[in-house]
Amino acid sequence: MTYIVKRLGQGVLTVFLTVSTVFILIRLAPGNPAVAYAGPLATSAQLAQVRKQFGLDQPLIVQYGTFIRQLLSGNLGTSYSFQAPAIQVVLERLPFTLTLAFASILLAAIVSIPLGVWMARRTDTKKELGVNVVSIAGQSMPDFWTGILLLSVFAVVFPILPASGFATWAGLVLPTVTVAILQVALISRLVRREMAANLAAPYLTIARSRGVSERALTWKYAMGNSAIPVFTALGTRFAAMLNGVVVVEVVFGWPGVGSLIVRALATRDYPLIQATVLITALLAVAVQLVVDLAYPLLDPRVRLGKASAS
Amino acid sequence: MSTPSVTLGSGPHGSDTPSARASTLDRRRIKRSEAARRRSASRLKLWIGAISALVVIIPILLAQLLPLPDPNAQDLGNRLEAPFSAGHLFGTDQLGRDLLSRVLHGGQISLTIGILAVIVSGLIGVVLGSIAGFYGKWVDVVISRLLEAQMSLPLLMMLLLVVALFGPSIPVITFVIAIAQWPEVARLTRSLVLVEREKPYVAAARTLGLHRMLILLRHVVPNVFKQASLVILLLLAQAVLLESALSFLGAGPQRPFATWGRIISDGQDYVTTAWWMVTVPGIFIVLLVIGVNLLGDGLRDRPRRTKGLVALLSKGKNR
Repeated sequence: MTYIVKRLGQGVLTVFLTVSTVFILIRLAPGNPAVAYAGPLATSAQLAQVRKQFGLDQPLIVQYGTFIRQLLSGNLGTSYSFQAPAIQVVLERLPFTLTLAFASILLAAIVSIPLGVWMARRTDTKKELGVNVVSIAGQSMPDFWTGILLLSVFAVVFPILPASGFATWAGLVLPTVTVAILQVALISRLVRREMAANLAAPYLTIARSRGVSERALTWKYAMGNSAIPVFTALGTRFAAMLNGVVVVEVVFGWPGVGSLIVRALATRDYPLIQATVLITALLAVAVQLVVDLAYPLLDPRVRLGKASAS
Repeated sequence: MSTPSVTLGSGPHGSDTPSARASTLDRRRIKRSEAARRRSASRLKLWIGAISALVVIIPILLAQLLPLPDPNAQDLGNRLEAPFSAGHLFGTDQLGRDLLSRVLHGGQISLTIGILAVIVSGLIGVVLGSIAGFYGKWVDVVISRLLEAQMSLPLLMMLLLVVALFGPSIPVITFVIAIAQWPEVARLTRSLVLVEREKPYVAAARTLGLHRMLILLRHVVPNVFKQASLVILLLLAQAVLLESALSFLGAGPQRPFATWGRIISDGQDYVTTAWWMVTVPGIFIVLLVIGVNLLGDGLRDRPRRTKGLVALLSKGKNR
């Protein structure tokens, strides 16, 4: 129980640090949101009006106080360009990003776990080296580039899949594959490392001498012990994967949070940027928390109270 | 302790070893063949890595010396020329600019940013990581929490924000990438220092009355530096990728030359008619990053003279 509270506290701290950093950065930067909002032709009276409307004429510390108070009440101000509550604008886009993110991590897990096991059973052979090099290649391709290539092959040259947007479920295929490629490369190498260590462990030799089948040895004995690090990695990769999702969303015109923030940055829509950063941070922290709390399900040896946070 | 070192040290010549030792020898032979295979694999990786990285790096370094058109010179009469057309090895873009020249000059910027970012993040990471590992207690708690917090966030949004706010100049982008990368170095350095500080020589230095700061700087950091520096190549690969992603999203440097991500994003609009605009810069990125990754991987996998039993054995053989 104390562990859960501690982890929650950490998560809240992370989110709080994020939001404060964003607030400070925005106020430190050159450039003026009032000008951006009112347009280059605005008179100084109009500018003053805009400043007053958004509270930009107050001292920084007062602005921060207002900001924190609003934050606690779940209100991050009105988006300049959408003329709607910023949180609401982001939340409307969030399901699309979530769909893409979870589809990708699911695909990545389905492909990379068998692949990693395959590699682990053939450590240091020529075949494994080949797959290893291919996975390094997969790790080395910029995701937006892979996205454009996939798009031009499967949507332009052979028009079998929709190129952009989210009209049908088929539109999910290309973005998901694009995001998953990098994750497959990373996760399969992790699975390989964990499995190789467990396959070489003495307990496995003993089990083999007792006549346990190879299949059970791999999937039940070794996998059972590799599951935790792999599962943790899936949790920590989630934050990094959201980065990839942002880029890929832009390539495929996916109506998610990623394409939203790129647009918000172009218009200097500060409340919207803050809301986006806050919500994605919350999302990443929440996913990681869920992963941490799910440990005991995978490993009966772990008791939450005793697990160390490092 | 001395008995096994003598028997095992007799090595392959020990044909008269009693049969009870045969299994030990067999296992050693297997070990050696595994190590040999691993060594050849790492050598292969090093070679492929070096070649594919140099294929990109050498032309980039020589960009000013090669007979190339100015990367920003527009030639509206020759827009979207296909590769291998007269005077344009890789074709031209939508404004008639020579693609090869643009890619090479942009590459200079990308590479400079990557290298600078790795140096900056390496410095921050080694300093903070070693302080956290060596001093422990609340210093460690603060740095580790900061590190964890940063690693659990989708950082790209934040980086985009910084670039958008402070302008896409080379120093800003370098700084942003360095900030994104320091936790990895710091985490590695911290774990290395944690091991190192328990070693007897640290206690000895402390007994001699050396200041803790001096012990850290003069004795501990040099000892972990070599191991920590292996991560540099992997960081460089990531830095190049990150720069290209920022640049693709419109947060890359514009002056003096557009970098690879930007060229690809320009080319995206012409992907149906001018495939080379997207493909060529992408291939440059992929070759460079694969090369650097393979080099890093090969260096890491290279069988090192391991401590303990193996070192003892090899010493015995040399004698």
